[in-house]
Amino acid sequence: MKAKEGVINLLNKILTADLTAINQYFVHGKMCENWGYERLHHTVRQRSFDEMKDAEELIEHILYLEGVPNVQRLNTVQVGETVPEQLNLDLKAEQEMLAILSEGVIHCAKVGDFTTRHMLEDMAKDVDAHIDWIETQQELIEQVGLENYLSEQIRKEG
Amino acid sequence: MKAKEGVLDLLYKVVTLELTAVHHYLLHASMCDNWGYERLQHEYHERMTEETTHVSKVIDHVLYLEGEPDVQKLGAVSSGQGVQDLFNADLKLEQEDVKLLREAIAHCAKVGDFTTRHLLEEMVVDSEEHVDWFETQLRTIKQVGLENYLGEQIKK
Repeated sequence: MKAKEGVINLLNKILTADLTAINQYFVHGKMCENWGYERLHHTVRQRSFDEMKDAEELIEHILYLEGVPNVQRLNTVQVGETVPEQLNLDLKAEQEMLAILSEGVIHCAKVGDFTTRHMLEDMAKDVDAHIDWIETQQELIEQVGLENYLSEQIRKEG
Repeated sequence: MKAKEGVLDLLYKVVTLELTAVHHYLLHASMCDNWGYERLQHEYHERMTEETTHVSKVIDHVLYLEGEPDVQKLGAVSSGQGVQDLFNADLKLEQEDVKLLREAIAHCAKVGDFTTRHLLEEMVVDSEEHVDWFETQLRTIKQVGLENYLGEQIKK
């Protein structure tokens, strides 16, 4: 099926942001593991896998729309040197992602591509949840102090 | 633990190559899916998982050696018009990978870093198997013809 105007470009832009997020979360997860924060490692690594699933869905949808997926580009991967820095940078990345997704949803509605819109809306919902999680961590750090927060991250529950 | 001379630079190169491979297989899996070759999609998925494991292990090891893993760089990702194009591009990449890993293994032996050497030796086993798999597919295509080969890839 042929894509409506501008949709492929938009999807490729989202794909680039997604591929960047995979790498960013992956490295952050590994750094947490290296520091001994097993619980954070677990959560952040899961994020990386979630983004990978999104990337795959985007690639499949671009091909379905007879476009060429661009997996060659990466935005700047922002690596934080400490846990709070990582949270800040991940929040920034997720907020940027939400902005592109919202732009995409509006564009798809305008050109009448409701399948793509639906997919992007689903992704935006996940991004919302990610933002909420990061903001909660930041709030927690403020309330209990960084040391207490980090000591709770040493063990994974369950 | 501090790394021996030149080891981190080699590991950074390995990360870039393995990440490029992940992107390759991610794209190629979806392309095969789009063309209707479910079996090939499955094969690519498996390879992608293996390459992701490699990236993961190398990054762990870089951090252990107190280096900073670079996940920003990416090599050229090739696609193509058909399954054969994909196989040729993948074969080339895997051959590069094997070459780099061998070079790194030799270097690690020279500077006496046997832990890194051991890790790379495990990885090169997988990469050589990948080379072999792509070579086999290309040879099979030559022997049975592209249409017969592709006909077998529709169902998993």
